[in-house]
Amino acid sequence: MQAGISQVVVASAAQAQDRVLPVLSVLRDLFPQGGLQRGSVVAVPGGGLLSLAIAAGASAAGAWCAVVGQPELGVRAAAGVGVDPGRMLLVGAPGERWPQVTAALLDGCELVLICPPAQPAPHVKRHVEATLRRAGGVLVVAGDWAGAQARLWVASQQWAGMGQGHGRLMGRRVHVLATGRGAATRPAQRWLWLPGLDGGVAAADPGIGGLAAPALDDTEQAMAVIAG
Amino acid sequence: MSVADRRPPRVLVVWCPDWPVVAARADVAAGADVAAGRVDVALGADVAAGRADVALGADVAAGTGGQAGANGTVPLAVLAAGRVVACSESAREDGVRRGQRAREAQYHCPDLVAVPRDEGREARVFEQVLAVVEEFCPRVEVPRPGLCALGARGPARYFGGEDALAGQLAAAMAEHGFACRIGIADGLFAAELAARAGHSGMVVPSGGTPRFLAAQPVTALESAEMADLLTRLGLRTLGEFAALPAASAADRFGAAGAVAHRLARGLEPRPLATRVPPAALSVAMEFDPPAPQAEPVIFAAKGLAEQMHAGLRDRGLACVRVEVAVTGSDGGESVRLWRHDGLLSALAVAERVRWQLDGWRGGRTGDATSEAGDAAGEASDATGEVGETTGDAGGITMLRLVPDQLVRDHGRQLGLWGEDQAEDRVARAAIRVQAMLGHEEVTHPVISGGRSPAEQVTLVPFGDARPPRLPPDRPWPGSIPVPAPATVYPDPLPARVTDASDTPVTVTGRACVSAAPARLAAGPGPPLPVIAWAGPWPVTEWWWEPEKARRRARFQMVTDDENAWLVTLEDGRWFIEASYD
Repeated sequence: MQAGISQVVVASAAQAQDRVLPVLSVLRDLFPQGGLQRGSVVAVPGGGLLSLAIAAGASAAGAWCAVVGQPELGVRAAAGVGVDPGRMLLVGAPGERWPQVTAALLDGCELVLICPPAQPAPHVKRHVEATLRRAGGVLVVAGDWAGAQARLWVASQQWAGMGQGHGRLMGRRVHVLATGRGAATRPAQRWLWLPGLDGGVAAADPGIGGLAAPALDDTEQAMAVIAG
Repeated sequence: MSVADRRPPRVLVVWCPDWPVVAARADVAAGADVAAGRVDVALGADVAAGRADVALGADVAAGTGGQAGANGTVPLAVLAAGRVVACSESAREDGVRRGQRAREAQYHCPDLVAVPRDEGREARVFEQVLAVVEEFCPRVEVPRPGLCALGARGPARYFGGEDALAGQLAAAMAEHGFACRIGIADGLFAAELAARAGHSGMVVPSGGTPRFLAAQPVTALESAEMADLLTRLGLRTLGEFAALPAASAADRFGAAGAVAHRLARGLEPRPLATRVPPAALSVAMEFDPPAPQAEPVIFAAKGLAEQMHAGLRDRGLACVRVEVAVTGSDGGESVRLWRHDGLLSALAVAERVRWQLDGWRGGRTGDATSEAGDAAGEASDATGEVGETTGDAGGITMLRLVPDQLVRDHGRQLGLWGEDQAEDRVARAAIRVQAMLGHEEVTHPVISGGRSPAEQVTLVPFGDARPPRLPPDRPWPGSIPVPAPATVYPDPLPARVTDASDTPVTVTGRACVSAAPARLAAGPGPPLPVIAWAGPWPVTEWWWEPEKARRRARFQMVTDDENAWLVTLEDGRWFIEASYD
């Protein structure tokens, strides 16, 4: 059943290939169009590796990726999930001028990752969104963005490979949930290794047992959001 | 006779004897401070020697009058590294010779005026000579200031023979006040020797070059070592050397010997790279009304640079340097030469324009020049005019790009598909942001070597080409294993790691941990229980250099909110270096 739906999604994505940027195949089920719709905003409230993984597919396919206002971004981790450092631009400290910087970068790069300092003013958001639609890029926001076309977050996570004083971090199994506006209201979920043993992204078996209590709370919270 | 042994084309050489001296005098006449200061000192020496200082005044006046010949009354010598490079006729009469030490020269000629050598000055003054020569033939090669060469065949036909050409050129030079000697022969080497032969140079008839060269001493070869060696072997003239079989000469004397042998036989060691007048390739744009902001000028610079590159490409050329001239609405001008080497993209040229504007308008001439030195490797001394600051009073009225020192372009492999267009779009966006925030603010990550996550990435300002700080292709034992942390703090966060009894955890010199870490607190935050940990992984770096030496112990920890951290202990203090979110 799941596979059938995913095939349909892939087919429709192929038809509208010029309207979507590709994502990694393991993430495809999380997006109703099978990719990142051009001119749309994807909000990732948790930021981190998930936002980089979202950008990885398009970057691997040749898109340039600009990162604004995240001086602490781990470029090696980005390279690990599949973002090509050769097609990355970093603007560490745009300060108050982040909307202008974002707009200028959207003219050149298909993917722009931003970390807005605070909840931006409505007119600033409208300006950025207008540029986004005109340029046909995709804006990935590490944080919340009211009116985002898609929202992805890590509902629960568990690190593997380490004990009390032995081992090392080998991978993190995460439960990613996706929701959105319009066509994307259908909630989607996926279990992933993010990062996996080699630093990349891979599909994981659904994990029920062994999760810590706060993670379950998160899932309940997420279900509440979807229901609402 | 093979193609390589074909007789070289007819070359005319204009040689200005004692050019460094002539240039120094011309500078004195123009009132340049340094040279004038030197003359004052010399004046004192004159008085002490009991000579009338009128002579010096008269000589300087004569220089002002345009008679910049080397036969002035005051003996003058140009020195480089304490040795005489060139001296005036009067100094030579007193016994001053090239290569003498300054003290020895002064012994021969006590009232000698010594001027330090300035090759920039020599080239600058030589432009006046080139202007005269270019009226006869537009393609002039300048092997060095004081000597220029042109293909003689065409002009000789136009001016009615080689003798007539030489005569008219000499007359024109004399009219402009330059003493020169003109030689015409087959090939540059012979033509230069012909110019030095006789009192005013000579014309070696076509085909007579080998015979002319045969009589020349081997010291005519530029390499003093080679001349010395040949003399010791008993070969005193070029003719005797040329009589040796070419293969033997190459066997015995190597590549330099082969070139010398070709020269001695009257052949060309290299083809003449003629100098195309740069005006045809230079590009300029006027701004009306004057542009008050730098950004439109930088955009225009990119277009201009593309135009200039297209012009060069059409001729199969590249330029070694590019001259950027910016004119302000108040008449101020900033001229600077930037190293190009045929490698700069249009964007990179625009970048140089931006630096130049920054330096000029910001009034930080000193800073800008040092930056230019870094970036261009060899910045020119044409920054003299930059000193005037316009501040933000006026706009920019004109931008001109002139390619300098043209060389053959050996080409560069371009991408097969339309990659360049996409990159162009990105570059435009990046330069716009750089114009907003500053050059260093838009960076491009390069994966580097190193052990800590922060070391493993070098941020290179967009448009620059810098190698990674540390080479990535080494093993780097002790580096953090994959997966890499997604958040790397540029400044590590201070932290507190305590054990179950709330005492700080320490690590001994033998990498033993005092107790299992139980709680991790980042900065002022609340302590979080540690549910898993690994370490310590000791790292000792730069132990052979006390100032850079670092000893650290690294841990990975997972706190009970399922966040993973890279925690470091250094000098008894804990830091969070990165987090794996």
